[in-house]
Amino acid sequence: MGTANHSDAAPQRIDLSTLTPGFSDGVHDSQGVFRALLEALSRPGTIVSIDAVLRDLRTQGTVPLAVFASLLALADYSTPVFLQHDEHSLSDAVRFHTGAPLTTDSKQAVFAYLHDAASMPSLDAFSLGDAETPENAATLFIRVESLENGPPMLWSGPGMPCPRAVCVAGLPDAFWRERAGLASKFPCGIDCYFVAGGALIGMPRTTQVEVD
Amino acid sequence: MSISAQALDPARPLSRQEWMGVLARTSREQLEASLTDALDGKALPAFDWLRAPDIGLAMVRGRIGGTGDAFNLGEVTVTRATLRLRLQDGNGPVGMAVHRGRDKERARLAALADALLQTPSLEMQLQERLIAPLAAAIAARRAIKEAQAARTKVEFFTMVRGD
Repeated sequence: MGTANHSDAAPQRIDLSTLTPGFSDGVHDSQGVFRALLEALSRPGTIVSIDAVLRDLRTQGTVPLAVFASLLALADYSTPVFLQHDEHSLSDAVRFHTGAPLTTDSKQAVFAYLHDAASMPSLDAFSLGDAETPENAATLFIRVESLENGPPMLWSGPGMPCPRAVCVAGLPDAFWRERAGLASKFPCGIDCYFVAGGALIGMPRTTQVEVD
Repeated sequence: MSISAQALDPARPLSRQEWMGVLARTSREQLEASLTDALDGKALPAFDWLRAPDIGLAMVRGRIGGTGDAFNLGEVTVTRATLRLRLQDGNGPVGMAVHRGRDKERARLAALADALLQTPSLEMQLQERLIAPLAAAIAARRAIKEAQAARTKVEFFTMVRGD
């Protein structure tokens, strides 16, 4: 499994008495979530609702449902997951249901959940992939306050027939500057999902965002 | 292996490791019947799946003579399940089962039995009426096998040569 390479300390015991149950129908639920994530990334800027395909998935604490569902669907033993904040209900559930190792080293992370965009690590702290293996780049799930009430920004690129105004709220200016700085490294780069509750917006590395 | 090799003392309540071993060696029909009987026909309690029964493969490793280098003997199908009892005042004990084979219903029953055995009000009742008879049945099957094998035992004698 190679988990020892990914975690710095011995993993804590999973507390089963409070563990959040996972998908009720593992195969079909994860297929539905995967389909929704694919839809979000192939049509950047559209709001995709993930909870529509899940009948009775619940989360604990402040973790958005869409993040929990996405990690359940995507993560496995070969994809180290980086969690920005120490929320046991999420880390235990990810470890138990997916077998994915948690990592505190953002460079090793294949998936990352960033609970607080204002204090997230800079984007180049994550893996951007190599020229030959750009698919090894990290995918970030960033929690935002709202997908509709933020300042409008013009997005353009593949998947959008014409530029589209997207109103994600609560991202620091530094994030957009760092992201614009990665454009020259294409095909390397980072794919992001902005998550609020049970809905998300995908932003692949090919999307250009007009930054003031 | 060490668990199965131990003789189970019928007077002593079994540890969780031992009762899981007993449940893992019991067929589904027997588990079904014994569990209903041990609960006096009461309905099985409500529970939430933490991990619904799923089927996978496990690699069995062996050592020749118990001392040589470990080698991969082959893969076996295993079914595993984890559930948590639902009590009025919140979450109850967590039961687990990992079995050879692909019988999901059997894994469900064994995980339920494991959870019920961790419920203080039911533990003694289930130890006496579920686990003890099943452990005795396993011991009896084992004794028959051993007796059958013992009959085929051949003693070799080497004559001391007289020179």
